[in-house]
Amino acid sequence: MYSTLRIRGIGGTLVAFALLATACTSAATPSASAPAPAATSSAQPSDAPSTDPGAALAGTTVTVWTMEDATKFETLIQPFVDATGIKVDVEAVPWDNVNEKLTTAVASGDGPDVTQVGLSLLPTFTAAGALEDVKASLAGHPTLESATFLDAVAADKLTTDGTVTSVPWVADTRVLFYRTDIFTEVGLAGPPTTWAEFTAAAEKLATRGTGKFGYYIPQWDAPLPIQFTWQAGGDVVGADGKINLDTPEFKKAVDLYTDFYAKDLVPTASDFDQTAGFISGAAPMLISGPYLASAIKEQAPELDGKWAVTTLPKDVAGTALFAGSNMAVWKGSDNVDGALALLEYLSAPETQVAWFAATGSLPTNKAAATDPAVTADPNVKVYAQQLEDAKLLPLVPAWDKISAAILGALNDIALNGADKATTLDALNETVAALQP
Amino acid sequence: MNVTLTTRAKRVPARLRPAARVSLTPYLLVGPAVALLLLFGILPILVAAIVSLTDLDIGGLGHPETIRFIGLENYQTLFADPDFWGSLANTAFFVLIGVPTIVGLSLLIAIGLNHSQSRFFRALRSFYFLPAITAIVAVSLIWGYLYNSQFGLLNYVLGVIGLGPVPWLSDPLVAKFSVAGVAIWRATGLNIIIFLAALQAVPKEYREAAAIDGATAWRTTISIVIPLLRFAILFVTVTTLISWMQFFDEPFVLLKWPANETMSASLYIYFQGFRFNEFGFASAASLVLLAIILVVTAVNLKVRRVNDD
Repeated sequence: MYSTLRIRGIGGTLVAFALLATACTSAATPSASAPAPAATSSAQPSDAPSTDPGAALAGTTVTVWTMEDATKFETLIQPFVDATGIKVDVEAVPWDNVNEKLTTAVASGDGPDVTQVGLSLLPTFTAAGALEDVKASLAGHPTLESATFLDAVAADKLTTDGTVTSVPWVADTRVLFYRTDIFTEVGLAGPPTTWAEFTAAAEKLATRGTGKFGYYIPQWDAPLPIQFTWQAGGDVVGADGKINLDTPEFKKAVDLYTDFYAKDLVPTASDFDQTAGFISGAAPMLISGPYLASAIKEQAPELDGKWAVTTLPKDVAGTALFAGSNMAVWKGSDNVDGALALLEYLSAPETQVAWFAATGSLPTNKAAATDPAVTADPNVKVYAQQLEDAKLLPLVPAWDKISAAILGALNDIALNGADKATTLDALNETVAALQP
Repeated sequence: MNVTLTTRAKRVPARLRPAARVSLTPYLLVGPAVALLLLFGILPILVAAIVSLTDLDIGGLGHPETIRFIGLENYQTLFADPDFWGSLANTAFFVLIGVPTIVGLSLLIAIGLNHSQSRFFRALRSFYFLPAITAIVAVSLIWGYLYNSQFGLLNYVLGVIGLGPVPWLSDPLVAKFSVAGVAIWRATGLNIIIFLAALQAVPKEYREAAAIDGATAWRTTISIVIPLLRFAILFVTVTTLISWMQFFDEPFVLLKWPANETMSASLYIYFQGFRFNEFGFASAASLVLLAIILVVTAVNLKVRRVNDD
């Protein structure tokens, strides 16, 4: 594992520098005869861009805060370190502490050079002015241009003001997980492809007896109702750029969400464990991300072949959430050039494929996303397909509060029997108050 | 109390006399402690008080020039927020269940443990102290598994003896008791030790005198031991009361994203401050909580003093 990774990683470096030197956008397979970048970049100054990292930046340090596994990340970037002479300090930050850690860094002004930012936190930290606008530097770094990345995370979708405060790193989306064995057992031919089939399948699966459900709605899954709204053909952002939930599509999403509860098709326990529920068969359908696939494989290898993933059931559309992480240059970094060189390396198709091999994280680089090494896995093929129809959550500043309010209102209707019309009216008032 | 009285009494003559060194000593002695208190206790409160009058959020941290003074607007919004009142009511509920149970239970167990100095009882002491020294994350993991509605041990045991499952953490009302239960279990350890120490300070002569007078063990405990534990009981009550008014750890780790029904005041502040990055608003809420704690503690001390006199 280690050696494969390393070879791939080195390949990544070579390609990254080949791209730098030739501004070529295709992901050519590195050949054994490709020159070693550090040695040759200074020898061919005419071909290399002005920000040649190998020569000018050797000996400088780039500090990286990442939520990834630090050891794996260090292995991934070792070829970059070897080739450029840039020292990279990797600091692992647990997901739970990211907000506190970054907020503290904003307050103290003492941040890293590069930080990983989850897409859900990106609007907050962009608005706080914590991230460097690297738009002007993109010309010298062709792999960081918007065209490199999947359409859902194109630069104009990540910020609303034309700045480029981050570049995509890993992608994540939601797909439908289902138990093929239980589907066969109850006489369902295949996975649901429409909302109607989705509910019908859940109804059929729930007839298996007490403690057996059709589907499971995580009570903390704030993006789920938004995803349903997109699928109903609507959006939660109105024409004026403000959140508007007073639409027929949102109401349709609410109906779908609350009907699962009204018909007793989903567990009501807030501490229901979705992985355990899927493995035991209590919840034979789940809408979740690729991390669930890893969890199932790890916890129940014997279940192999008895479950599958497919794209989300459609109403008008089958749009899913685009989640994942970006990498950003921290404002105030004293090594922006080194940081950009690292980002360029991380965005290169070969690096992204190597990272997929090491961790299973989906690439955001278009070329890497279609690389045979990535799409060989049938599950990943589904993820890639779903990523083509995936969307980011709204980039409005009050989103966290609005999102919490939506979830609170829906769960109030579904779990506490609150009146739907009254609760939604109150929700609309709350949302209006949060966006003066 | 005595210290202040003496210094106050001495202060005037000390000023008149040239040798001021004598009266300086007590200030030098308390100086470091006061400095630390000012720096880490009072100063942050003052900062929070100022922040509570602004609209400071994450954007304001990055661009301090955009921070605006908005007067009492945060407080107005806070008092108009039903969720805040709900969180205060939940906190009151937790305090009412938690504090009397902890004081009573710790005292009871301490009196029991004080019965003997045998090896078995000393082992028991460590056993009761264990929850206090176990990391809260480990505690939450274990209790999370015990309480879990799918594969939890508690529901399994209930099933074995023919009872139905209990929604330990799912039902808001049951969850309140489940969370309080873990917190009570955790808090008794330290308080038992405090009571044990106080019990061992009860002079043997009193017990002997009572025994000679023919008092039963029950009589001795009620009429001699418990009155002598007055100060320990006051101390445990006040510290427990304060910590329960700031009730945070257990609901935070057990419920992850608590529903409104289990949101304590501290959790409410945490969510406003660190999930939504509304530092000004969260500061306002924390000052209100501080004021409530101060009032309750002052009343508590006052009542005790009146009783003592």
